[in-house]
Amino acid sequence: MLNFKINSSEIDKIGNFTKEEKNFRLKNLNYFNDNGFPNKKDEDWKFSDLKTIISKNFTKLDIQFAKSKKEKVDFIKDFEHNYIIITNGELSASDFRYEEKNKINLESFVNDNYSNEKENNPLINLNHALSNKGYYLEVKDNYKFKKILVIYYLFTEDLDENILNSKNKIRIGKNSELHLLEYLVNSSKQNFFNNVYEDVVLENSATLKNIYLQNNKSSGYFHKYSVNKLFTGSNYTSFIFPAGLKFNKLDLEFNLEGERSECNLQSASFIDNSEHQEIKTRVNHLSPNCKSHQKVKNVLNTEAKGVYQGKIFVKDVAQKTDAYQLSKAILLSESSEFNSKPELEIYADDVKCSHGSTSGNLDKDSIYYLMTRGLSQKESSKLLINGFLNEVVDSIKSNSIRNFIKTKLQTQLQNEHKKH
Amino acid sequence: MKNQNINYNQDYKYGFTTDIENIKAPKGLSEKTIKFISKVKKEPKWMLEWRLKAFNRLKVSKEPNWQKPKFPKIDYQDLYYYSAPKSMKDKPKSLDEVDPKLIETYNKLGIPLNEQKKLSGVAVDAVFDSVSVATTFKDELTKKGIIFCPISEAIQKHPDLVKKYLGSVIPISDHYFATLNSAVFTDGSFVYIPPNTRCPMELSTYFRINASETGQFERTLIIADKGSYVSYLEGCTAPMRDENQLHAANVELIALDDAEIKYSTVQNWYPGDKNGVGGIYNFVTKRGACRGKNSKISWTQVETGSAITWKYPSCILQGDNSIGEFYSIAITNNYQKADTGTKMIHLGKNTKSKIISKGISAGKADNTYRGLVDIGRKALNSRNYTQCDSLLMGNKCGAHTVPYIRNKNSSSTIEHEATTSKINEDQLFYCNQRGLNQEEAVSLIVNGFCKEVLQQLPMEFAVEAQKLVGISLEGSVG
Repeated sequence: MLNFKINSSEIDKIGNFTKEEKNFRLKNLNYFNDNGFPNKKDEDWKFSDLKTIISKNFTKLDIQFAKSKKEKVDFIKDFEHNYIIITNGELSASDFRYEEKNKINLESFVNDNYSNEKENNPLINLNHALSNKGYYLEVKDNYKFKKILVIYYLFTEDLDENILNSKNKIRIGKNSELHLLEYLVNSSKQNFFNNVYEDVVLENSATLKNIYLQNNKSSGYFHKYSVNKLFTGSNYTSFIFPAGLKFNKLDLEFNLEGERSECNLQSASFIDNSEHQEIKTRVNHLSPNCKSHQKVKNVLNTEAKGVYQGKIFVKDVAQKTDAYQLSKAILLSESSEFNSKPELEIYADDVKCSHGSTSGNLDKDSIYYLMTRGLSQKESSKLLINGFLNEVVDSIKSNSIRNFIKTKLQTQLQNEHKKH
Repeated sequence: MKNQNINYNQDYKYGFTTDIENIKAPKGLSEKTIKFISKVKKEPKWMLEWRLKAFNRLKVSKEPNWQKPKFPKIDYQDLYYYSAPKSMKDKPKSLDEVDPKLIETYNKLGIPLNEQKKLSGVAVDAVFDSVSVATTFKDELTKKGIIFCPISEAIQKHPDLVKKYLGSVIPISDHYFATLNSAVFTDGSFVYIPPNTRCPMELSTYFRINASETGQFERTLIIADKGSYVSYLEGCTAPMRDENQLHAANVELIALDDAEIKYSTVQNWYPGDKNGVGGIYNFVTKRGACRGKNSKISWTQVETGSAITWKYPSCILQGDNSIGEFYSIAITNNYQKADTGTKMIHLGKNTKSKIISKGISAGKADNTYRGLVDIGRKALNSRNYTQCDSLLMGNKCGAHTVPYIRNKNSSSTIEHEATTSKINEDQLFYCNQRGLNQEEAVSLIVNGFCKEVLQQLPMEFAVEAQKLVGISLEGSVG
């Protein structure tokens, strides 16, 4: 059994900190040491017992990680883009060749928020205690990005039973707009743990379009907690396309603080081979006339486990809220499993809130129909799965990006089908 | 002071108390109390041992705290665990010997205890505080081999059946309130339907808490043997008091091969007054096991009363092709809090379940649907359909939905949908225009909203339930 306790001397090894910061880190470390990795007794981790997963797969968790050798980046050639390169959580290069440089601010992230708020999630405590890298990206007021910004998250092959803790912050100024592609490339063949804390702020009338895409499957164990603040009239659209990790939990919180703010989240994934994936969302409607829309689609194959926990919270002042949540899962194998907990907590009466959740196999009638048209069983099911997932991809507006993602998803599916 | 009756709540017509002398167990929860209950009930030794086993378990278990409604700590030592009308000590042989005051109480409640009301065709077992008062239509049922009697009587007369099934669905170690019930349960109904028998009438139990500072812990056990059918109704009321009273019942249903049990509840415990003072804490454990092939258990509930309700009537679908159903209406007004729902646990092949839940909250109330649908790896070709709708009246109340959905095999299908909204203004306007006042219009629309569930109730109950829906929401509009 792996010992989860972390010695406080590790904090000194990370760097020299002010007294205030050190206390903050120590406090969080103690909290983590008291609780350990979350397990299924924690309501939020009911379906993802991380403690067991970690102790089964890791013999140690190395906190200190020496800077790795420079990685070669395989740039996307399908469309013109600006880029930022993050290697093992650390900001290593950037290029904004299509933009006005004075409108953008990019630096290594320095945490200055030592809030005493108690976190319920031990992994956030762990991050608060040990994080030492990350970036801060700011788009100044009244500036619209001309080209998409791709953030390459590289994980190098020398990662082996390491744990990376990083913190990122993105701020989109008033009336500004940013299109973002978070592109994850993993070269490590070994187990490692990536623990990210993300803070996103959308000022009045700001727009953020975000696509999260994993290039390939990997043996990483990922946890990301993201807190998003949306002010008056802002609009956040997020697409999530995970390709499958040993463990992946995306814990996303959206606070619709300003009136008429809108958030839209869609996800499509194909998971296989004992992979475990959880998407957990919490949308807090805190002001009137806000909209939120979520659609999460999963296809699960051999031994795969998918989880969706979504919560819509509507405060009593948030009248005229329009909130929607849909989770659909297709289970292809006897050994796959899908758990969901779509939750509503509503305190305002003039609202329209609904959710739906379905899980089951491919529709037999549809397969039969396709087979009467001359397709084999395999081809029919492939066609149906494609259609199921592409519904999400099709709502991406930009042609070149949509096609790029479609090709990526196709290759993933192709690889799957070859195996079977 | 505590025993004072409060009269200003006119909406709750069952709020009267009956002045009857009571015999009470010593106050507080102890081995002594349990031995007292067991002795009064003239129970065999095994039953007392069973109770004590539960009591020992209780010492190490903790009150659950995950529910949405929080409540002040209950002082379990400040309660009477047994209260019986004095005149009941020598059990009456027939209805003529029952204390006329009791009969009067039940008449006030509109329960057809008198055999002259034979036309209504419902066999009734009435439980007053801790004991079963009277059971009607016994002869007719005996002819068919049906056993319908207080559970204390069944422990003495049918120990084999009780021993075999009691605690087999809700084990004594289940959770705090179920364990508490196992230790101190006082009375309740026992039903056994022999193989291939269709119970000719609805069986019904009326529960009434009368004495103050008393907890009511009744236990119901229904066994439907192979190929049998029974429909069971349950109603509950309590006087208006400014204290909170605890009601922690356990209900166990067992359906063997091809058997069907239909269990309907109209729960109208005293909900507390307009300011949230008093009312019953209704912490009930209800669970049914579809043990046999092709068996079916159907729960229907109309929850309008109680200050706090925690109740999750569940089905364990063990037998292949078994069916579980849950139809619920939960109405909360003023400061009432309800956290209710169901669990459908699919273990057998080709099992089906259906959940229809309607929650209505008004005033400053909180209404939560919490449910679990769990389809196991071996429960191939299983099916679930869930629909939960919530209606909000006013912006001081809350409506919540917390479903847990687990699917562990690919041949099963689960569908879940939920909506939350307020009463459509166009509908209200239409009704107003046709001459209905605001309250009538709301009542009509709400009844329409609940129709799917109300339809499931047996005739006698459906009428009462419809009225209740209207009464519970009085004063919540405008």
